[in-house]
Amino acid sequence: MPSVGLVLTSLFRADFAAFRKHRRSLVVSLLLPIFLLVSTAGDQAVHSFDGAGYIIGLAISYGLLAMAIVGYALSTSRDRERGVFQRLRVTPAPTWAIMTSRLAMQVLANLILALIVVIVGAQLHNLSLSLGQYLLVLLVSVLAGAVFLAIAQALVGLIRSTDTLQAVARVLLAVLIILGTFGQVGALGAAWVDVSRWSPVGVVMTMFAGVLDLGAWGGRDTGAVGAAVGYVLICAAVGVRWFRWEAG
Amino acid sequence: MAETVSVVRAGRTETYVVGEERADGSLVLLPQPRAEPAATRPAATLAPAVGASVLEVDGLTVAYGPKVAVADVSLRIQPGEIFGLLGPNGAGKTSTLSAIEGLLKPRAGAVRVAGFDIRRQPTLAKTRMGVQLQATSFQPDLTISQVLRLYAGLYGVRLGAAELHSRLAEVGLEAEAGKPFSQLSGGQQQRLSLQIAVVHSPALLLLDEPTSGLDPQSRRQLWSRIEQLRSAGGSILLTTHSMEEAQAVCDRVAIIDHGQLLTSETPAELIVKHRDDPRVLAVAHGEVTLEDVFIGLTGSEIRD
Repeated sequence: MPSVGLVLTSLFRADFAAFRKHRRSLVVSLLLPIFLLVSTAGDQAVHSFDGAGYIIGLAISYGLLAMAIVGYALSTSRDRERGVFQRLRVTPAPTWAIMTSRLAMQVLANLILALIVVIVGAQLHNLSLSLGQYLLVLLVSVLAGAVFLAIAQALVGLIRSTDTLQAVARVLLAVLIILGTFGQVGALGAAWVDVSRWSPVGVVMTMFAGVLDLGAWGGRDTGAVGAAVGYVLICAAVGVRWFRWEAG
Repeated sequence: MAETVSVVRAGRTETYVVGEERADGSLVLLPQPRAEPAATRPAATLAPAVGASVLEVDGLTVAYGPKVAVADVSLRIQPGEIFGLLGPNGAGKTSTLSAIEGLLKPRAGAVRVAGFDIRRQPTLAKTRMGVQLQATSFQPDLTISQVLRLYAGLYGVRLGAAELHSRLAEVGLEAEAGKPFSQLSGGQQQRLSLQIAVVHSPALLLLDEPTSGLDPQSRRQLWSRIEQLRSAGGSILLTTHSMEEAQAVCDRVAIIDHGQLLTSETPAELIVKHRDDPRVLAVAHGEVTLEDVFIGLTGSEIRD
């Protein structure tokens, strides 16, 4: 019987090879965050967004969101349609190992993206961060990535067709970005400020802003962590409950 | 005991059972059933205990909602046996295979591979079988050597670089090692799929329409490879639409239609048993073949 270690090593190695081959998607996911950081490098813009921490948080959120919803959800759906999962499922590999390996690569991609964005953001916005803050940013990236991955998993669980998923993912991406960008500054009206703040993008931005300015950490930041955990639990439960390994 | 004759064809001796005499005085020759294949062959690495069936399917029933796709199917496959599951489109072949592979949860019945229940001991059962699915798709971002290494690892086989190369060379794919699966020709894809299915020397190999879409050369090569696997002690359960292939290669065949197993015999026995059936005679042109028996039993209407 194959050992769990060998099964996981084999899956990790294969998924890492696929990840390396698709590093272009990581670069594409970085475009919007970097553009945001560059375009808000002026003082006036940063002020309207409530500080450099929010800008960096927003930039990381966009990157993680794009990687999860466009990257993870679509590639999972396509592989399901191609029968890749069916082929894996007839092997002795447990299904949890197949998914763990995929998610581990996504977490790795999230960390790389977050680190690049926070380093570029800190440079452009003259933010001086300690090693501890960098580590906290990585920690929050894991939680933030989990929020968006859970949403992506829920999408793949609820939608069987890749074409439909692609259409829904685009709309959802646009809605979450607009809500996150304009909602918190009141551009969508006062009623939307709270909705935006507690939306997935909103809570992730709040968490990043909190760790980038630890002195100002407050109840809202702690609430954002709680909300993020809630999003992860609910969306992951939906995604696992309704996920089907076959497309038919 | 039936009289037999040996015919040397292209340097290979083939034995036939002498059947009835035709009106013109010629004799009908039927392929001789393969006798006790397991006794003379070395056991596959993960073979079951001597005398035990490699595959036991008891009262298998598979349903999709109210539609019953497989109804109370039972069959046994012995070590070293090639067993063909024949049936028209939608007859229940793939559903039966999917239940055996553990992809479908049957409504009723049990499947044991080398003595291990596919639902209760899936890891042990799956370790003892190799599978080639009808529409095989491997990870599109991986090269075929990466794919082979991945699947070997999933079955607990560590392949070093030299071993990997030699496994690919066995199926003539060493020059394609750096290509993704999608860039291989249909024949190359089938060869790789089969090589992956047997990477762990399984006791049971499941092949779902392995020759569909292949040219005659690739098909011949595939059958020769399947014969090699059987010679090494492996058992094979396959589905096919080619009655000629089933007649030539399978030790036993079963015909399934509307989810029910109609009959299960050696091809020769099946022909002898049904050659006087009016439904078979109505579709036969001259000597009754396995295809005539198949169409006679399952009907001539086209299935989707």
